[in-house]
Amino acid sequence: MLAALLGFPRFLAFSLGRAWRGFWRNALMSLAATATMVLMLVLLAGFWLVQAGLGAGLSYVEEKVEVVADLRDAPGAEDAITVPAAELMARLVADPSVRSVYFVSKEEALARFRARLAERGQADITGFLDRNPLPASLEVKLVDPRRYESAVETLRGADEIVEQVVEVKRLVEMLTSVTGVLRTGGAVLLLLVGFTVLFIVVNTIRLAVVARANEIEIMRLVGASDAFIRWPFIFEGAFVGLAGALIALALLALAAGPLSDLMYDFFRVLPLELGSLQRDVVVLVLGTGVGLGTLGAWISVRSYLGR
Amino acid sequence: MTNLLARRGPRPELAPPAAGPRPVIELAGVSKVYPNGKAALRDVDLALGEGEFVFLVGPSGAGKSTLLRLLIRDELPTSGQVLIDGQDVARVSGRGVPRLRRRIGVVFQDFKLLPNRTVRENVAFALEVTGTPRRLIGPAVERALSVVGLNAQARQLPSTLSGGEQQRTAIARALVHEPRLIMADEPTGNLDPLISWEIIQLLLRINELGVTVLMATHNADVVTALRRRVVALEEGRIVRDEVGGYHRED
Repeated sequence: MLAALLGFPRFLAFSLGRAWRGFWRNALMSLAATATMVLMLVLLAGFWLVQAGLGAGLSYVEEKVEVVADLRDAPGAEDAITVPAAELMARLVADPSVRSVYFVSKEEALARFRARLAERGQADITGFLDRNPLPASLEVKLVDPRRYESAVETLRGADEIVEQVVEVKRLVEMLTSVTGVLRTGGAVLLLLVGFTVLFIVVNTIRLAVVARANEIEIMRLVGASDAFIRWPFIFEGAFVGLAGALIALALLALAAGPLSDLMYDFFRVLPLELGSLQRDVVVLVLGTGVGLGTLGAWISVRSYLGR
Repeated sequence: MTNLLARRGPRPELAPPAAGPRPVIELAGVSKVYPNGKAALRDVDLALGEGEFVFLVGPSGAGKSTLLRLLIRDELPTSGQVLIDGQDVARVSGRGVPRLRRRIGVVFQDFKLLPNRTVRENVAFALEVTGTPRRLIGPAVERALSVVGLNAQARQLPSTLSGGEQQRTAIARALVHEPRLIMADEPTGNLDPLISWEIIQLLLRINELGVTVLMATHNADVVTALRRRVVALEEGRIVRDEVGGYHRED
C-alpha cells in the first residue's frame, strides 16, 4: 500500500511524459484531432450561449406579462383610469383564470419608454413630442399561462375601449417552438460532431498504439503492469481534449469583445448573469474536451490493447 | 478439469528434477492446442533445477516457442500445469503476471531493442516501465552493462552496434531485474558463428552467477560442443532429455 502510494508520482510522471512525447511524435494526427475538437467545442459553446440567451429572454417575457390590451385614448384621462376601463378590469379580476390585472397609464408607459432608452444609452427624444403617443394598457397575469383564451375574449369583447390585444403568450409559444426546434437541431448537430471527434480521437490513439507496438511488446515482456502500458495513451487522449478546450476558450475570449457589443442590448435587459454564464462555458468546454479525449482514448486502448 | 486432475495425486510417469535442489521450472502433463486445432505441445513433462543450463532443440514448429510462451504466461496450457518456482502460472492473477515476468529474463533472436534509445536507455527502460525508483535504475543498469561488457557503448544507439553487441544489450536488459531464470529463444539465430560463440559464452557466465538458463536453438555446433543437458522436442513431444549433443531421433 505504502509502496503503491510512493510509486504513484513516478507512475504519473512516466505516463504524462510518454503521453506528451506521444502527442508530438504523431503531431499531424494529434493536431487534426485537436482542430476538430476545437471546432466542436466552439460550436458547443456557441450553442450553449444562444440557448442561454433565448431561454433567459423567454422566461423574462413569460414572467413579465401574459396578455396585454392597449386601450384607446380617452381625451382628458391622461393619467387616470376611465370608468369603462375600471369596469373591464373588475370583470377580468372576477375571471377565475386571471391572477391579477395591472393598469399602465399613458404616463407610466412613457416613463417606461424613457427608462428603456436611458438603459440603452440612447438620447431621450420624447422631449420633442407635443403629446404622449403611447397608449394606456391593461397587463393581465394568468393563473395558468396556457389558459389565456377567456381573458383574451373578455378584452376583445370590449372593443369600444380596447384598441388591440397583444397575446404575449401566443408569441411566447411561437418562440418556444422555435427554440425547441433549434435545441433539437443543435443537439443533433452537436451529437454528430461529437461522434466525429470521438472517431478521430479513437483513430489518433490507435495510430499511437500501432506506432508503439514494439515498445508495448517489450513492456509486456519485461513485466510492465497494465497501468504503465495503458495510461500514457489515455493521457494522450486527454491532452488532445485539453489542447482543444484551451484553444476553443482562447478563440471564444477573442470573439467575446465584438460579440458582446453585438449582444449587449439584447442580453442586458434580460435577467442573465454574464459572470456565471462565463464560468459555465469554461466548465462545459473544458469538461467536454477532456472528457471526449479521455473517452476516445479509453475506447481505443480497450479495443486495440485488449482488456 | 484436466487441470484439477493433474494437480491432485502424484504422476508416476513424471521424472524427478534432473538437477538442483528444487525445480525453477516444472511442466506436468502440459498440452497446448491452439484454437485452429493445431496441437503445439502434447503431454510434456519437464523440470529444470535451479542453476541449470538447458538447451531446447528441435525443428521449426516442434513447439519450442510455445513452450517458452507458456513459461512467461503469454499463453495458457490447454491441459496440465506450468509451475515457476512452484507457482502455477495459470493461477496467477492479471496483476500478478507482470510480477511473474520480472522474475524471468527473456532474450529473442531479433533482439527487440528500441531503435531511438541508447544502449543504457534500452536497459533502463525495463526498470522505468515497472515503476523502479530513479535512484535505483542507474546502478542496476551499470551492473547489467558490466556483466555483458557494454559500459563503453552505453551512449550508442542500437543502429551503431554490431549484431552481437545488440544481443548483449538485450541480455543486459533481461538481466536488469536480476531474474533467477533467463529464457533465450534462438539468441544466436541472426548472428555469425564467431559472434554466436561470444553470446553463448556470455550466457554460460551468467549461468555461473547462479541464473538458470533455458535456451532454444537450432545451432547444432554449439549444442554438441558444450555437452550440456539437451531437451529435444518433436511434434510437440519431448523425444529426448539427456546430456549430450544435437541430433534428431529418426
